[in-house]
Amino acid sequence: MTDIIQFHDVSHRYIGGHDVLSHVSFGIKQGEMVFLTGASGAGKSTILRLVALIARATRGQIHVHGQSLAGLKPRHIPAYRQRLGMVFQDFNLLNDRTVFDNVALPLIIRGHSHRDVGRQVRAALDQVDLLDKEKVYPLFLSGGEQQRVGIARAVVTKPDLLLADEPTGNLDPEMSLEVMRIFERFNQVGVSVLVATHAIDLIRAIPHRVIHLEHGRISLNAPIGVRHLGDAHG
Amino acid sequence: MARAAETDLRQTFFSRQLEEHARVFFFSLGKLWQNPVGTLLTALVIGITLALPAGLHALISNVDKLSYSWEGAAQSSLFLKDSVSAQRGQDLAREIASRPGVAHTNYISRDQALAEFRKLSGFGEALDILDNNPLPAVITVTPMHKQSREQINVLVKDLSQLPEVDMAKLDQKWLERLYGIIEFLQRAVMVVAVLLSVAVIVTVANTIRLDIQARREEIVVMKLIGAPNSFIRRPFLYTGLWYGFSGSLVALLFVSVGLAALTAPVQNLAGLYDSNFTLSGLSFAAVLEVFAAGIMLGWLGAFLTVSRQLSKIEPR
Repeated sequence: MTDIIQFHDVSHRYIGGHDVLSHVSFGIKQGEMVFLTGASGAGKSTILRLVALIARATRGQIHVHGQSLAGLKPRHIPAYRQRLGMVFQDFNLLNDRTVFDNVALPLIIRGHSHRDVGRQVRAALDQVDLLDKEKVYPLFLSGGEQQRVGIARAVVTKPDLLLADEPTGNLDPEMSLEVMRIFERFNQVGVSVLVATHAIDLIRAIPHRVIHLEHGRISLNAPIGVRHLGDAHG
Repeated sequence: MARAAETDLRQTFFSRQLEEHARVFFFSLGKLWQNPVGTLLTALVIGITLALPAGLHALISNVDKLSYSWEGAAQSSLFLKDSVSAQRGQDLAREIASRPGVAHTNYISRDQALAEFRKLSGFGEALDILDNNPLPAVITVTPMHKQSREQINVLVKDLSQLPEVDMAKLDQKWLERLYGIIEFLQRAVMVVAVLLSVAVIVTVANTIRLDIQARREEIVVMKLIGAPNSFIRRPFLYTGLWYGFSGSLVALLFVSVGLAALTAPVQNLAGLYDSNFTLSGLSFAAVLEVFAAGIMLGWLGAFLTVSRQLSKIEPR
């Protein structure tokens, strides 16, 4: 199977600063679910930002969907991002719009017809079990519910790659587990999922491959890696 | 088959575009509705700015109309030589009346002229002293409406060279001066309008700029989920359009109120001059012009600021 994400000797450096990532190489297969772990500042978020083209690699090659990101022009970035589903730590919902309108946004951006939008939004809300909240504004929801809205928005266009940056960072343990289980459900139907997290207990509960980062380098790339992880974290 | 599918696809493309524009059209209106005070203030500023040139334009059109109604007075008088008989004079008047550009003529014989002078001047008794009638026969020539001043001048010059005519006098110096003043005022209003148009653009641009800054996070989220710049820009352009539209409404309201306030004193003044002149409001065309100008300037103001501002906002 081909890699959906491939990093080859990638480094990233802040302008005038130090390397946040140095010589990182790894691949994520189509249909795989992978946890990116490591202390804050280890480079987890940077990897996701590079994949989402929020930042550009200083050195090395990144391929997503078999396409090299280095050659992608800024005007092609929106079309590129439309193929990804992104979930954020602070949800990034638009608080002046209802849950329905938030989830509908990616479809409206793509120019789907009115009828189509209604059907797909409800399907996505159903998958995160929020069908009864479509008319509610995000700020009236719990953190867990808000994140589920975020997930619904990320999957409403049926992307084959989901990126999540600390999706449980602002949630209590119970809600966190629920959110991770939702990711796992999408992975089971063939979506590749890359989750950056430092919630070790969650990774124990949901065993998947782990890529562990320390100081911008991969210190562990474990196929099932969960059991070793305790050691890596010391 | 393939062509039919292609047409079908194009139709869906256009209908989707239309649907999307309709959505943004109402969405941006809804956004403004959510902030009625701010919207009203912006509309008020734009309205006052637009009302000034629109109001001046209305006043000048009225003066123009007034001068047009006086244009009948732009007749010229042909003083005939004493040797021309009354019969020849009347024939000449008919000949001149059939010339192109001439509305009608009137022959006034020497006797008629004397009678009229006696009646109007009050020098009747003084005239009795004279042995013979000193007044010449006159043909008054009224040019057709909608002739340019050059055409009238050429006509009068031609007429003055007729052998029977002693002298031709075009009595419209004062009208020409009035035209000159109106032309100057029209130009001045144009200059003011251009300056104030710039003011409208700047007002809208600045309002939209603040709007974009206030919605910075929303724009970042939009960019993160793959919204192209054209998509993010569209609601702001429509917002500019709405600002222009509401500003035009306010401007028209101000002008109407202003003209209404002037109606009574103008009528009073016209009455004193034995005129039945009434102040007319903005014409339908002028109303459309104010709307078109407002909408275009609002859109332009938004357009000029939005691309620059959006390119500054990128997810980090």
